[in-house]
Amino acid sequence: MTGEGPEPNSTSDHIMGWLEDSVSFLPSFLEDPYDSNHINSYQWWCQGQDPITTSTNSLFSSGITTEDTITSITPTNPTIPIHEPVPSDSWKKRKVLDDPVAKTSQNNHQKKNRGRRINERTAGNKRGSSRGSANNCNNGNNKEGRWAEQLLNPCAMAITSGNMKRVQHLLFVLNELASSTGDANHRLAWHGLRALTHHLSSAPSISSSLASVGTHTFACTEPRFFQQSLFKFNEVSPWFAFPNNIANSSILQILTQEPDRTRNLHILDIGVSHGMQWPTLLEALTCRAGGPPPLVRITVIAATTENDQNLETPFSIGPPGDNCSSRLLNFASSMNINLQIHRVDNHPLRNLNTQTINASPDEALIVCAQFRLHCLNHSNTLDERTEFLTMLRNLEPKGVILSENNMDCSCIDCGDFATGFSRRAEYMWRFLESTSSAFKGRETEERRVMEGEAAKALTIWGEMNEGKEKWCERMRVVGFVGELLGEDAIDGARALLSKYDSNWEMRVEEKDACVGLWWKGQPISFCSLWKLDMDTQ
Amino acid sequence: MTMAIDDTLELDLSAFGSTTTTTTTTTTTTTEEDRACNWNDWSPIVDWEALSCNHDEFQDLIQSMMNEGVLNHAQVAEEACNSVSTNCEDFKGLRLVHLLMAAAEALTGLNKSHELARVILVRLKELVSPNDGTNMERLAAYFTDSLQGLLEGAGDVQGRHLISHNKPHQQHHQTDVLAAFQLLQDMSPYVKFGHFTANQSILEAVAQDRRVHIVDYDIMEGIQWPALMQAFVSRKDVSHIPYLKISALSRGRSGCRSIKTIQETGRHLIAFAASIGQPFSFHLCKLDSDQTFQPSDLKLVKGEALVINCMLHLPHYSYRDSDSVASFFAGSKTLNPRLVTLVEEEVSHSGDGGFVGRFMDTLHHYSAIYDSLLAGFPLHDRARALVERVFLGPRIAGSLGRIYKSREYEEGCSWGEWLSGVGFKPVNVSFANHCQAKLLLGLFNDGYRVEELANNRLVLGWKSRRLLSASMWNSC
Repeated sequence: MTGEGPEPNSTSDHIMGWLEDSVSFLPSFLEDPYDSNHINSYQWWCQGQDPITTSTNSLFSSGITTEDTITSITPTNPTIPIHEPVPSDSWKKRKVLDDPVAKTSQNNHQKKNRGRRINERTAGNKRGSSRGSANNCNNGNNKEGRWAEQLLNPCAMAITSGNMKRVQHLLFVLNELASSTGDANHRLAWHGLRALTHHLSSAPSISSSLASVGTHTFACTEPRFFQQSLFKFNEVSPWFAFPNNIANSSILQILTQEPDRTRNLHILDIGVSHGMQWPTLLEALTCRAGGPPPLVRITVIAATTENDQNLETPFSIGPPGDNCSSRLLNFASSMNINLQIHRVDNHPLRNLNTQTINASPDEALIVCAQFRLHCLNHSNTLDERTEFLTMLRNLEPKGVILSENNMDCSCIDCGDFATGFSRRAEYMWRFLESTSSAFKGRETEERRVMEGEAAKALTIWGEMNEGKEKWCERMRVVGFVGELLGEDAIDGARALLSKYDSNWEMRVEEKDACVGLWWKGQPISFCSLWKLDMDTQ
Repeated sequence: MTMAIDDTLELDLSAFGSTTTTTTTTTTTTTEEDRACNWNDWSPIVDWEALSCNHDEFQDLIQSMMNEGVLNHAQVAEEACNSVSTNCEDFKGLRLVHLLMAAAEALTGLNKSHELARVILVRLKELVSPNDGTNMERLAAYFTDSLQGLLEGAGDVQGRHLISHNKPHQQHHQTDVLAAFQLLQDMSPYVKFGHFTANQSILEAVAQDRRVHIVDYDIMEGIQWPALMQAFVSRKDVSHIPYLKISALSRGRSGCRSIKTIQETGRHLIAFAASIGQPFSFHLCKLDSDQTFQPSDLKLVKGEALVINCMLHLPHYSYRDSDSVASFFAGSKTLNPRLVTLVEEEVSHSGDGGFVGRFMDTLHHYSAIYDSLLAGFPLHDRARALVERVFLGPRIAGSLGRIYKSREYEEGCSWGEWLSGVGFKPVNVSFANHCQAKLLLGLFNDGYRVEELANNRLVLGWKSRRLLSASMWNSC
């Protein structure tokens, strides 16, 4: 691949790094009718991508020439690892369970599905494809269409009540209907079945090894493919792209309120974007009146597992060897931004303190916490969340961006196993359904990885979600006050969202100064911006 | 024991049409056995190509899942699957039962979900076929079809999208129906058990009478009666042959097919009676348009012994509406019959009376029948498929449709209980009758069982499952 590409000049070396990772999704970019607009949201990347898009950045002009070459060689793509189903123990088990007859018929079934999908595609559906609109009628708020949960939740209830005969019956049925490649229901049945059998077989000693076996998670991808998957996902789904966009806008908003333009910027990155969100920010900083801050520091708080995969928050842990720092640094230098990245590994959130962050008083510290804080306990006896937020408060940041899943908590303190499981299943349903729509039903490795990673939500023992109100309440208690997002941020977010499936929706809630991301009338996540409450200081 | 049977058994066990038989029990038995051995010879319709032999005893299988199962049943089954290939069939059967049950659950109850039912049925259709595969696969195909019909909501279970393309009973080709009926007769004791037990009771009840009047609720082709006539004419202990009158209930307007069939039956019976010297007359008694029975329509003669004969829902019979049956019995009660013979299906009610419980009972019931047919004639797949297609499939659809519509409020009581409730008194089953039933079953597979319940009821079962019962009553 690298050999086939044009010899990159030294300045675009790092760009090529990004481009190469993205090569595999170029074809789909070009096919999707709205993609040329869409790419604009990734301005750091659009130069090489779409020569028509006008841009002011001359540094990228060389990219225009490379672009054609790259697209023309896309059919051969050595960068994508072939992910066969891992022949692990649990896979063997499934294979034995399926007798040959069933296997064949299932295969036929899948073939049929594939054929149908191809037809759908060649029919040239515009945005909001027929698949999407069909989902509209059947699913979403309407639980009738969500048959997988109608098997999974009773099964979880039977587990809670110890009715093993019932559990066995439902597992049998789930096993017949589950498929890792069907529609969202079949997939949910598949992931849910794995989670339930995992739960049933969990002697803690073996469960951690079972948890990720046979599924595609971030941790078992090859680093380049991992980046590519994230990129592709952000391309087609706003699940993370939307909160990332708002976070960046929020950072810019805070900076504009900052009187001293020469102050350094320090971002505390407690998130799941794996560096994907920063190029856009860096580029925006260069466009800022007065140019970028003299120094931009990003302190990445990497997620820790404490060697227990059962506690892994979904999307938080990339594959070993993934290092976005060097690429970001190259990118920044190409834009004449003085960037420093400091990655804090093996440091649990609850132990975080000023020393680890190494904050200095003469810089503008902004905390960007996205989809990570829910792994902290919130029980009455040990409220790690409040403790952590208090610690953040003591850092006296200029702003805190908090994005979280906006769903009920599924932890064991907030309900029994069945209640928790049904909430996790609901989270998973929304992810799978929106992702199915995002990929337009197409089966890709990227999709598989994202869904496999999301499925951790079904198996992790730790805490998962919490409603928006509780988070906001907690922020206020420790001494933050909500900051309304400015028009620029709202408009930018709205523009971004309009490029995705029309079932996505943004809801601005003045009361808590939050912006919510909704899918088919169901809350997915919320984004909020907080500043120090000067009254309580 | 043998002597007792020789002395008391008056019935001839041979089939309708063997007019020359005037034999003792022992020779009859031999004849029957010979016929059983040679039964391949008589049907020109069915191709007797011997196909594979599948011993899937899915009775056990359903049992295993209804019982408190082991936690890791799947694993157990899987291990078994590895060792013996036939167990794979069992395992597939188990999967089918789970899917069927889940589909039934999805059609009713608090967590009703038609979408789930639809998805399960799609999966089932991938796994089953009414014409091929194991017994359980074929049975599951009919149940799948029936559920599909219920899902489509019409209650008309002969819907358009069914995989087996079942037509209503009447629409099968006449030769198919005839062939299937003969097969059923020879493959299983279901039909003969009812007829013989009833006939034996009639013989005992009218032993001293000179005139006997039998009112037959559903005469069909009349195959119950030649044997009775033969028994009358060959009785050694009675000096006279009684005069026999049969009144057959008929449904529908004159000129319609069912009446023509009954008239044809009457002609056959008259000819047969004449050929053996049985004094006999045949009458039609038309039911009202709403199928209610008017006792005044019967031509009664003073001094004749009145017998009410009601064969309900034998495998090859049409379904009769319960209001019609009730009006028949209620009207009969006013006539003070000497004897009421009732043969009916036994469907146990193990569950709480809900749809799923009754669905599983029905599945159990028919799987026992399928199982018994298979055990009796393992090599004749196509013959069984014909019987299944012509009789059992439509009955499954009908049963499930009724259960689904009736839901909770239908009382689960048998007609025997109903008769007892309106004041009929039980008539004891004679020792001879019991022995005769055992002897009959001895001609078939040893999985068949007969048991006597409440002194007036003989129950025919397959293994542990009760399938059919004959009970005797009078109004004295």
